[in-house]
Amino acid sequence: MLLFLARRIGVMLVTAICLTFVVFYLTNLPAKLETLAKTQAGTRISDAEVARWLDRHGYNQPMLVRYGEWLGVVPGWVREEPDGTIRGRCVGVRGVEAAGERCGILQGYWGHSTRFRAPVGEVIGARLGATGMLMLWVLIVMVPMALIVGILAGMREGSRTDRSLSTFAIASTATPEYVSGVLFIALLASSTVGLSPLLNQWGLMDAPVLFQGNARSALEGITFWNFTLPVMTIALYGMGYIARITRASMTEVMTQQYIRTARLKGVTFPNIVLKHALRNALIAPFTVIMLQIPWLLNGVVIVEVLFSYPGFGWTLFEAAVNNDIELLLAASVVAVIVVLLTQLISDIGYVYLNPRIRVT
Amino acid sequence: MTDFQTAKRAVHPAARMYARECLEGKLDRREFLTRATALGVSATAAYGLIGLAAPAARADTPQEGGELRIQMDIRAQRDPRTWDWSELANVCRGWLEYMVQYERDGSLTPILLESWEANEDATEYTLNIRQGVTWNNGDPFTAEDVAHNFERWADASVEGNSMVSRMVAISEDGRLRDGAVEVVDEHTLRLHLDRPDIAMIVNLADYPAAVVHPSFDGDPIGNPIGTGPYRPVSHQTGIGAVVERNPDHTWWNEGNGAWLDRIEFIDLGTDPSAWVASAEGDEIDMLYETTGDFLDIFTAIGMEQTEAVTAATLAVRFNQESPPYDNRDVRRALQMAVDNETVLELGYNDQGVVAENHHVCPIHPEYAEMDPPEYDPDAAREMLEEAGFGDYEFELISSDESFHTATCDNVAAQIRAAGITINRTILPGATFWNDWLTYPFSATSWAMRPLGVQVLNLAYRSGEAWNETAFSNEEFDETLAEANGIADADERREVMARLQQIMREEGVLIQPYWRSLFRHARPGIHNAEMHPTFEVHYQYYWKS
Repeated sequence: MLLFLARRIGVMLVTAICLTFVVFYLTNLPAKLETLAKTQAGTRISDAEVARWLDRHGYNQPMLVRYGEWLGVVPGWVREEPDGTIRGRCVGVRGVEAAGERCGILQGYWGHSTRFRAPVGEVIGARLGATGMLMLWVLIVMVPMALIVGILAGMREGSRTDRSLSTFAIASTATPEYVSGVLFIALLASSTVGLSPLLNQWGLMDAPVLFQGNARSALEGITFWNFTLPVMTIALYGMGYIARITRASMTEVMTQQYIRTARLKGVTFPNIVLKHALRNALIAPFTVIMLQIPWLLNGVVIVEVLFSYPGFGWTLFEAAVNNDIELLLAASVVAVIVVLLTQLISDIGYVYLNPRIRVT
Repeated sequence: MTDFQTAKRAVHPAARMYARECLEGKLDRREFLTRATALGVSATAAYGLIGLAAPAARADTPQEGGELRIQMDIRAQRDPRTWDWSELANVCRGWLEYMVQYERDGSLTPILLESWEANEDATEYTLNIRQGVTWNNGDPFTAEDVAHNFERWADASVEGNSMVSRMVAISEDGRLRDGAVEVVDEHTLRLHLDRPDIAMIVNLADYPAAVVHPSFDGDPIGNPIGTGPYRPVSHQTGIGAVVERNPDHTWWNEGNGAWLDRIEFIDLGTDPSAWVASAEGDEIDMLYETTGDFLDIFTAIGMEQTEAVTAATLAVRFNQESPPYDNRDVRRALQMAVDNETVLELGYNDQGVVAENHHVCPIHPEYAEMDPPEYDPDAAREMLEEAGFGDYEFELISSDESFHTATCDNVAAQIRAAGITINRTILPGATFWNDWLTYPFSATSWAMRPLGVQVLNLAYRSGEAWNETAFSNEEFDETLAEANGIADADERREVMARLQQIMREEGVLIQPYWRSLFRHARPGIHNAEMHPTFEVHYQYYWKS
C-alpha cells in the first residue's frame, strides 16, 4: 500500500514538472512576453518601452534559468536601479535582505499574478474555494439523481421505466452547458419571457424573476435563488452520463448467476437490488464520479463565464487570455494534483467496494 | 456643483469673439461653452455672453444615503498618468479629483482650480488654485502640489505616460522645462508655454490628469491619498471594486455632493447578455455604457436611457507599416468600397451621425465642411487591381464587443460586395487590446476630445505613442502644429480644412460614424446621465 502511494506521488510529481515546463515554455515565447509588458505598463507603449520593462522585471534571462527560479532551484534575479534601490524576484516577497536567495515553489512561494496584482496563492485559494462550493452543490444534486435514475433504469432492462429514463439521460447529456444554460436563463430568469412573467401575472410571485440569471452575488452568499441555475446547468449535463454508466453496470449485474439464485431462493425484488446488486453495480459509476471531479474543476469554464461566477475555470480563462505566467503555472499544478488525487481515491475506493481487488 | 464664486474680472477678448460667432451661428452653443470656459470665463458668464440664463440648479433636493451598483470593467490599477481606459479613472474619481471637469453640455467646471486666465495668444495661463482644500491625510492642498503634478505629467521616462503629449508646450527633453511652471504664491501658479496651446486647460480634464499627492507611489488603491470625499474599500481585477464615503475627511465641497454611502462597481465581463441577466436579478442599478441592440432590451426591463451626443467614434484603420496597407491606393480603394451611411444604419442601428473618414467631427469648433467621401465600389475594385492586389485576401480584425463586431462585419460585407476578398477575425476583448497598435487592419474605439485638433495630436502626428495608423506625413505634422496655435475658430478652420483633406487623400482610415453614447440606469438615480467622455462622477450622484 505504501509503495503504491509512493509510486503514485512520484508519477504526480513527474507529470506536474512536465506539464508546467510546457506551460512555461508556451507562455514565455517572446511575443507572449511583449503582450505581458503591454498589459502591465500600458496598452499603448512603444517597443523600446517594452524592452525596458522586460529588462527591469527580470524577463530577459534564458528561459531555463527562469524556470529554475520559479521552481526554486536557481537563485532569484537581482537588479540595482540607477537610484540605488534593489529590485529582485525575492525582494517583493521577503524584503531586500532576501535578494539573490532562492524563492520558488520549493520554498513555498507560488509567485505573483500579473493580471490580478496579488500573490498567486491567494488568488488560486479564493477561486478554488468558490469553485469548491459550486462543485459541492453540483455533486450533491448530481450524484444521487444520477444513481437513482441509473438504478431504476437498469433494474429491468427494456421496461417502460428504462426507456423513458434512458431517453431523459441521453437528452440531458447531449445538451451542452452553453445551450442548457442559455435556455434556463431565458425560461426562468427573464422578466419579459419564459415563466417569470406568467407567475407574476397569476400573482404567484412578487419578485420580477424566478431565479437569478447571474451568480456573481453567490460570491458573498449562496442562496437558492442565485445558485440554482449554474448548479442545474452543470448537474444536468454530468448527470445523464453517470446515469448511463450506472444503468449499464446495473443491467449487467442483474443478469449474473447469483442474482438468479437469489430470486429462486425467494428474496424480494427490492432486497435483491439493494443488498445484492447495488454494491457490485456501483464500481463503474464510482470511477466516473471521481473522473467528474477534475472535469468539474477545469471544465466549468463555460458555465462560470456564462453566469459570471469567478471560480477556478473563470480564473484559468482570465489567466490564459492575459498571459499571466505564474498564475497559469500554479493552475496547472493544481489541476495535476486534483486529477491524480481523485484517481488515487478511486483506486483505493475499489478495494472497499470489491474485496477481490488488491492494491499493490 | 452649485455656483463657483469667482472674482469679477475682464472677460477674455477671445471669449467675446466666440460669443459673436455663436450668435452668428458659426459656433454651436456647446462648442462656445467649451471654448469660452477654457479661457477662464465662468459658465454663468459664458451663458450671459450669448444672452442666455445658465441652466437653473436642479429642482429636486438631493437625498443623502444609499448604495449604487454599477456594471463596469475593473482593470488592474496603476499610476493615473499611464491610464489607458476611462474605467480606471472612474473607480478613483471619488478621491482623486481633477483641476477642471468637462461637463455634459461641453462647458468646463473648475474643481481644484478656482479660476484661470489665459493671455491674448494662449501662451501664458494663470491658475488660481482653490483655497480651503485639504488632502485626506490632513495636508493642505497648495500650488506646490499642483506644480509637482505638472512635473509628473511631463515625465517621458515613465512607460506609457500619456499626459506627456498633452504637456508638449511646457516640456523639454522629455521632462518639465525649467521655469515653465512658476509658483507665484501658495495658491497661484503661472504656466509659461513655449508655443500657443489652446487645449491646455481642457487637457487637465482628461481622465489621466487625476491630481495626486506628492507622496504618491503609483498605486491609487493601496495609497489612496486624494482630495475627494470617498475612499476605496476593495478592488479586485475582473471582479469588482467598492468605494465608500470617507468619514475621516472634510471635503472642500461638503454639502454639494457625496450623497451616496457606498458605490459598488461590478465587472460582469464583456457580454451584455450577462448584464441583462444581472439587471433582471436586481444586482446592478446602472450600466457604464449600453450599446447596440441592448438599448431596447434594457429599456424594456424598466431602466431609463440617457444619451450623450459625442465626437466618439470607431476608427476602422490601416496600419501603414504593414503591407499591403503601405500602399496608398490600397487604402483609398478599401475606403471607396464602403458607404459610411450604410455602416451607420446596419452596423450601429443609426445611433449616431455619418462621419467623413478624417476624424474631425462637425461638433468640433474648427470643423471645416467637406463633401462626403467618395463611394464607388467598381472604381475601388479597379484601383486595387491596378495596384496589383486584385486577388489579395484582406483580413479585418476586431474585438468581440458587440458594436465593434457589427460595424466591422458590415464594412467587410461591403468590401466583399465590391468583389474584394476579405476575412473577418474576432478576438476576445482581453487579447485584442494587447496589440491594438500593430494590427494591419482593425477597428479601435476612440473617445471624444473637446477640440478637433486634440485627437489629431494624439493619434495621427508622427511618432506619437498612440499613433496606431503609423501615419507619418511631414506636411500634416507642420500644418497641425500651426493649427495648435490659432485660437480663432474661423482662422483655424482654414488650416483644418487642409488637415482633413490630407487625412482623406492619404486614406488613413475608414471612419463610418460618430457615436451617440447611451447609458441605462434604474429610475430614481439622479445626475447619472451618460457623459460624452464616459465619466462617472459618482461623487455627485444621488438616489431617491
